[in-house]
Amino acid sequence: MNKFALGCGVVLAILLFIVVIAALALGGSYNRLVRLQQAVDQSWAQVQNVYQRRADLIPNLVNTVSGAASFEKSTLVEVTNARASVGRVQTQIDPNKAPADAAQLQKFQAAQGELSNALSRLLVVVERYPELKANQNFLSLQAQLEGTENRISVERGNFNSTVQNYNVAVRSFPTNLIAGMLGFAPKPFFTAQPGAERPPPVQFNFGTPAPAPAATAAP
Amino acid sequence: MEKEPRRRRLIAAWRSKHAIHLVLAAVAVGFAINAQAAEVIPPKPNRYFNDYAGVVSKEAAYRFNEQLAQFERETSDQVVVAVFPKMQSESDIADYTQRVAQAWGVGQKDRRNGAVLFVFIQDRKMFVQVGYGLEGALPDATAFDITERHIKPLFRAGNYEAGLATGIDLICKAIRGEYKGSGKTVAERQSGGGFSGVLPFIIFIIVLIAISRVFRKLGGYSYSSRGGGPVFVPSGGGWSSGSGGGGGFSGFSGGGGSFGGGGAGSSW
Repeated sequence: MNKFALGCGVVLAILLFIVVIAALALGGSYNRLVRLQQAVDQSWAQVQNVYQRRADLIPNLVNTVSGAASFEKSTLVEVTNARASVGRVQTQIDPNKAPADAAQLQKFQAAQGELSNALSRLLVVVERYPELKANQNFLSLQAQLEGTENRISVERGNFNSTVQNYNVAVRSFPTNLIAGMLGFAPKPFFTAQPGAERPPPVQFNFGTPAPAPAATAAP
Repeated sequence: MEKEPRRRRLIAAWRSKHAIHLVLAAVAVGFAINAQAAEVIPPKPNRYFNDYAGVVSKEAAYRFNEQLAQFERETSDQVVVAVFPKMQSESDIADYTQRVAQAWGVGQKDRRNGAVLFVFIQDRKMFVQVGYGLEGALPDATAFDITERHIKPLFRAGNYEAGLATGIDLICKAIRGEYKGSGKTVAERQSGGGFSGVLPFIIFIIVLIAISRVFRKLGGYSYSSRGGGPVFVPSGGGWSSGSGGGGGFSGFSGGGGSFGGGGAGSSW
């Protein structure tokens, strides 16, 4: 009778040990996934930050340009409209949580891409106005715009690398077994816009043949 | 007939010996072809003012270096100047210099207050990379103003020394006051701080000895090896003098700051 009880006790102890180890491992994995997801959300917030910075520069830019290049109304209107649509998309996106599916991210990217295209068209058009190119205010704004584009590029790169770390953890065995259960799914990356290798067409109002469009990489 | 297997062995041995040489040669050629197109991130500099293109005099280089080292002592901001003959990258200057500055870790880690002035002589381009922590004090418009309106005319005239002097003065003027320094540069703190690395070890060993004494008193356990156990010497970092003081100039050591792509540049 005693021996049987002892045997039972040992088996129970071993089972308990296994359960404890499994729970610790589970907890460890969960904590790691949470940490990686938080890193992704933080870098997403930073991406939103720099895109917002660009959007904030637009009104100033439009004012400066419209003063000297009032004939280019259509281009200016395009820029203003693109910024408005960016603002609309912004309200539909949670700035504190990285987009969970590719379609959502694509919508955000498309809106920002439109604004990028409109801006680059505007900057090409401005080349025809020497007084504007000599305008200190405009040159300063142009430098600031370039700065925001640089920042956008850096933060998107950082975002992609945090998403990569997270996706690798979510997809690796054995974490992927519990990731699904706990609600962690892989997240989408920023990608190059389809057609980014094609430069956007430039329209002029006077019926003169458009100059060779500048090659742009729409972010 | 019995020579056949021996000859075959010899031929196989000859082939394998020369195969290795052929493989090595192919690899070397592959590297050579690749090297021209590849991007090179230059190694971390050990001074604040680095003239890799030889456009300023030795005295001026020394003066600039000391000026920037003193600036770090006063404000904790790390300003580095790097003048290269050519940009070793196919990428955009803003993108490339951001990655280089990030790799160098210019600026304190927590404050991220680094700024790097890159000049590429043959490409006739320059760029000021501004760390996250200094973006408020040195925004893009100011950086552009410095490079376009102050440095560019002097560089156009071929006066690199004056251009760099102006650039350094204006950058420092813009960012002074943002942060307060500790009176020592990162390099100086590292060389003088060896002792603090050793102290925790000494305490740890004393504690070990004390614990082993307690165990002996309790009896039963004869872990005598505990008391006189391996006393490992702190490896390297604690005793090294990292000031790089060969020649009497102040050495630069990156504090681990990061860069977000802020800054601006011009070409002349």
